[in-house]
Amino acid sequence: MKIKRPTFVCFVVFLLMISGCMKDDEWINRHQTGALLPNGLFIVNEGNFMYGNASLSFYDPATRKVQNDLFTSINSLPLGDVAQSMVVRNGLGYIVINNSGKVYVINTATGKYVGKITGLTSPRYVHFVNDEKAYITDLYAGQVTIVNPKTFQITGNVPTLGHASTEQMVQWNDFLFVSCWSFDNTVLVIDTRSDLVVGEIKTGKQPGGLVLDKENKIWTLCDGGWAKTGTFSRTPMLQCIDPSTLTILKSYLLTADAKPSRLAINGTRDTLLFINNGIWKLGINQNTIGDQPFLNVGNHLYYSLAIDPKTSEVYLSDAIDYLQRGVVYRYSPLGAKIDSFKTGIIPGAFCFK
Amino acid sequence: MQHKLSHTNPIFQYFQLFPLFLLFLFLPQKSHSQHLSDTLKIKTIEVFAKKVIKEEAGKTTTRIDSIAMMNAVNSNLSDLISQNTPIFIKEYGRGAMATASFRGTAPSHTQVTWNGISLNSPMLGMVDFSTIPVYFTDNVSLLHGAGSIATKSGALGGLVKLDNATDWGNKFSGRALTGFGSYGTRDEFLQINVGNKKIQSQTRAFYNYSVNDYLFVNKFIANIDPVSGNYLYPTQHNQNSAYENYGLLHEFYFRPNEKNILIIRYWYQHDGRSLPRLLSNETDNNANINRQLEDSHRPVAEWRHYGKKTVLNVVAGANDQHLIYRLTTKVSGDVDQLVINSRSESSTWLFKLNYNIQLSSDLSIIASYNSEFSKVNSINSSQNGEQNGYDRHRQEQSAYIQISKSFGEKVTANLQAREDLIGGSVTPVIPSAGIEYHPFDNKGYFVKGNLARNYNQPTLNDLYYIPGGNPDLKPEEGLMADFGTGYAGTIGKTNFQATINSYSSRINNWIIWLPTPQGYWEPYNMKRVNSSGFEVNASINGTFHHIDYHINGNYAYTRSINRDDPRNWADESIGKQLPYIPVHSANVVAGISRSGYHLTWLWTWYSERFTTTSNDKTSPLDVLYPYLMNNLFVGKEIKLDKRKLGVELKVFNLFNEEYRTVLQHPMPRRNYSLLIRYDF
Repeated sequence: MKIKRPTFVCFVVFLLMISGCMKDDEWINRHQTGALLPNGLFIVNEGNFMYGNASLSFYDPATRKVQNDLFTSINSLPLGDVAQSMVVRNGLGYIVINNSGKVYVINTATGKYVGKITGLTSPRYVHFVNDEKAYITDLYAGQVTIVNPKTFQITGNVPTLGHASTEQMVQWNDFLFVSCWSFDNTVLVIDTRSDLVVGEIKTGKQPGGLVLDKENKIWTLCDGGWAKTGTFSRTPMLQCIDPSTLTILKSYLLTADAKPSRLAINGTRDTLLFINNGIWKLGINQNTIGDQPFLNVGNHLYYSLAIDPKTSEVYLSDAIDYLQRGVVYRYSPLGAKIDSFKTGIIPGAFCFK
Repeated sequence: MQHKLSHTNPIFQYFQLFPLFLLFLFLPQKSHSQHLSDTLKIKTIEVFAKKVIKEEAGKTTTRIDSIAMMNAVNSNLSDLISQNTPIFIKEYGRGAMATASFRGTAPSHTQVTWNGISLNSPMLGMVDFSTIPVYFTDNVSLLHGAGSIATKSGALGGLVKLDNATDWGNKFSGRALTGFGSYGTRDEFLQINVGNKKIQSQTRAFYNYSVNDYLFVNKFIANIDPVSGNYLYPTQHNQNSAYENYGLLHEFYFRPNEKNILIIRYWYQHDGRSLPRLLSNETDNNANINRQLEDSHRPVAEWRHYGKKTVLNVVAGANDQHLIYRLTTKVSGDVDQLVINSRSESSTWLFKLNYNIQLSSDLSIIASYNSEFSKVNSINSSQNGEQNGYDRHRQEQSAYIQISKSFGEKVTANLQAREDLIGGSVTPVIPSAGIEYHPFDNKGYFVKGNLARNYNQPTLNDLYYIPGGNPDLKPEEGLMADFGTGYAGTIGKTNFQATINSYSSRINNWIIWLPTPQGYWEPYNMKRVNSSGFEVNASINGTFHHIDYHINGNYAYTRSINRDDPRNWADESIGKQLPYIPVHSANVVAGISRSGYHLTWLWTWYSERFTTTSNDKTSPLDVLYPYLMNNLFVGKEIKLDKRKLGVELKVFNLFNEEYRTVLQHPMPRRNYSLLIRYDF
C-alpha cells in the first residue's frame, strides 16, 4: 500500500510532538558503581558561582591516583553551587555547599550519598562538638546553626548578637572560637555547653582562618577587607590570641596591599602557612614573618592550601583562570615538589580522610 | 568516559536539520500568485533595495521584516533577535535577563541605540534585551561588525538599531491588544495615533505580568526513599520568579514645512523581577529571596532639516536608569536580614549632530559629532550597614567623517574615520573602508568588503566598581574585516534572496572579570581573542496555490577563540572557544496564510556550549547540550471595514521539551498565549 504524502507528514509531525529532542537528563544515566576509596584526601572544588558546577575529587598519596567528579559519577547528582568545605567524622564526609544552602553527607569508603542537612542559608564550615552535635557557620545568617550529624536534623541555633556572618571555627576546651569575616572584625566565643556567645575578641579587619597551635594559642589571619586604607584597623595581619584571657598576644602586620588567605598549621602544630601571592611560613615562636616566601608564586594563581596532619606535606591549589579545571601541587614539608594533578574547577578545600 | 551528548535516535538527528532542508527546498519554487495577503505584508526584501546606496557600501546590514515584528509583537527584543537574526541570545530563564553575543563577542560588544541614543548601561556596558518591548519599536536593524562605526565606536560585535517612525497620512488610528498566557501571564497594550499632515502624536503603553510559576521535576536534588533506597525527585514550582513590566512611550512629530521635522520622544519603563534559585538549591524557603527593580526614563528631541542636497540631523537625549537589587533572607522566623542592598543610578546625556551633503550624484560627505556624558552612582550596603560604592562620570566626544563615491553604476565605495576623545584623552583614529560591486545590470548580485579598526572603552564598573574595579584597564581594540556576497531577485511573484557574510576580527585587550582568592571579582585585559565565522541568510516569499508563504532562515558559524598567553603549563584555555558561545546557530521562521488565517512556525537551534575555558567535556556540567526549540503560532484576522480584529494562539515549546539554557535554570515546558488584537 502506498502511503499518501499528507499521511506521512502527519505521522512525522506526530512523532516529533510526542518526543522532545533535547536530552535534559541524559547525564543521570552516566552512572558508575560506587568506588572504593583508600586512605587519602578529598579535594572540594568550588565551581563557579551560579553555575552549580562544584565537584569532589579524591587523591591517594600512596599510589598518586586521582579520581575526579566523584560525587556526580557515583551518585548521579550534581554536588551543587559553590562547595565550600568538608569534614570527616565516623566514616561520613560532610560537604558544605555554600550557595545551595545544604550539607551533603557521603560514605567516605564508597563515596555514596547517604543524606543531607538542608534548610540552611549560606553555610560555610562544620565543626563537631561530639557525635551528636555539630555547629555550622553561615555567611548570611546572624546565627550559628546547631545540627545533629547522626539524624541530619537542625536542632537549634546560637544567635551571634548582631554579627551578620560567621566563618571558621576552632575549639579550645569547652569553648568554640568563631571568626566573623565578612565586613567584620570579631572572633566570637561560644560556650558549647550552653550554646551561648560568652565573649568576643576584636581583631584586625575580616578575620578568616583560625587554627590552634601546640601551646593552645589561637591564630587568625585578617585579610584587611578590600578597601585597604593604610590605617591599622584595615591592615592585613596575622594575630595570635590567648583563649584563656581573650587577649591578642601578637600581631604580625603585612603590607597594606597584601591579600592574605588560607591559614594552615602543620602536623606538629608549631608552624603556620598562608597564601599571600606566594606561600609564607611562620614558626609559632618566630618574631617576624621574614621577607622571603616559603614557596614563590611564579606564574601560579594559588587559591587554597592545606597541610596533611599526619605527614605535614603541603597541598596547594592553583585555580589557573577559575574557568577550567585547576591543579593541585603536593610538596614535602621542606618545600620539595612531589606531585601535581588536575582536579575540578577552583579547587578550594581539602579534607584528609 | 563515553560522551553521549548527541542524540541517539538517528530519526531525531535528521529532524533537527529538517528546517534547513525545507528552506532550500523552497528556494527555486516559481509562483503564480495574484495578490499578497492583507494580514502579512511581505517586506523581507527591504534588505536589498535595487538602488545601490554608496553610503552603505561594504556594510552588512540586516533589517528585521514586518512579519517578524508582528510575530513578536508581545515579546521582548531577545525573542525577536534570537528567532530572526544570527545573534546568539543567552537567556537566564523565562522573563529573566537575556544578553547578546554578536559574532562571538561579549554582551558589552553589542551596542544598542534607540532613535540615536545609546541604551547600553554606562555601568555594565551591556543591554538586557529582555527589558526592551517590541511594542515600542517600529524598525529594528542590525549593523554587523564594522558596519556600526558610522553610528558609534565600541560595537566590536555589531549594533542593534531601534527606531520609531510615523505615518504623516494618519488622522486617527491605533491598536489595542490583550493577551492571556500560561503561568498567570497577562499582556496589555494600547497605541493611539492622532494627527494631520503637520502634526502627529503617537502614544503607546504596555503592561506585562507573569506569576511565572511553572512546574518541573528537579533532578538536580533527590531524597533517598528510606525503604527502597531509591531517589525521589521533587516536583517544584519555579518560585520567586514573578515579573511585572510596564511602560509608556509618547512621540510627538511636528512638520512645519517640507524641509523641517521636529520630534520629541519620551519613554518610561519599569521592570520588576526576581531571579529564581538554582536547581541545586536547598536553602530554607525564606532564604535568599532576591528582587530587582529598574526604572528608566529616556527623553529624546530630534530636528531634521532637509536642504536641496543636504540633510541635517540633530539629536539631544538622555538615558536615565535607576536600579535596585536586594537579596533578603529570613533566619529561624526572625526579621528579614538584608544580605545585599545595592542601588545604582546611571545616566547618559547625549548630543549628536549629523550632516550629510551630496556634492554630486556620485559623491557625498557625511560629517557627524557626538558628545556623551555618562554618570554612575552605585552604592552597596553590607549586612552591617557599611556602605561601599563609587560615584564617577565620563565625558566622551567623537567626530566622524565619511566620503562615499560611486564609480559608474557598478562600484560604490566609502572611506570613514572616527576620532574619540574620552575623559580628556584622545584614542587613535578609527579608520574604516568599504567597497561594493554589482557586476550585473539588475543589481541583484553583489560582492562587498569592509575593513575597520575599532575601540571599546572599559565600562565605569570595569574601572571603578568596589570591590574589584581596575582603573588601569586598557580599551579593547578590534581589527575587523568583512567579506560578503549575495543575490536578490524576483521570478514572477516570488521574491527571494540569499547572502553569505564572512568576517574575521582580532580583539586585543579583551576585558574579562575573574574571581580572586579574596572572594570578589576583578576585570583584566586578556591579550587577544580572535573571532571569525560566517553568517548565511536566505528568505523567500510568494504565493503557491492561493496560499501566501514566506520563509526566512539564518545560520551562523562562530569561532571565538582565546589567543591569550597561557598562564602556566596547566592552562588549557588557549586556542579554545570562549565559554557559552555556540559554534553553530540557526533559526527558521516559516509562515503560510490564506483568507485571513495564518500559521507560523519558528525554529531555533544552537549547538552545544562549553562552560569552561578549556572546552572540557569530562563532566556533564562542562557542556550544555544542543538547544532546539519549536514554536507554532496560529491566527485569524477579520476585517471590519477599515478596522481589523485578530486572534492568535501561540504555542511555545511545541514538543514539550524539558530543558535548560544555562546550567541550572529550568525552562518551561509547552505553554500557550492567546492574543486578541484590534487595529483601528
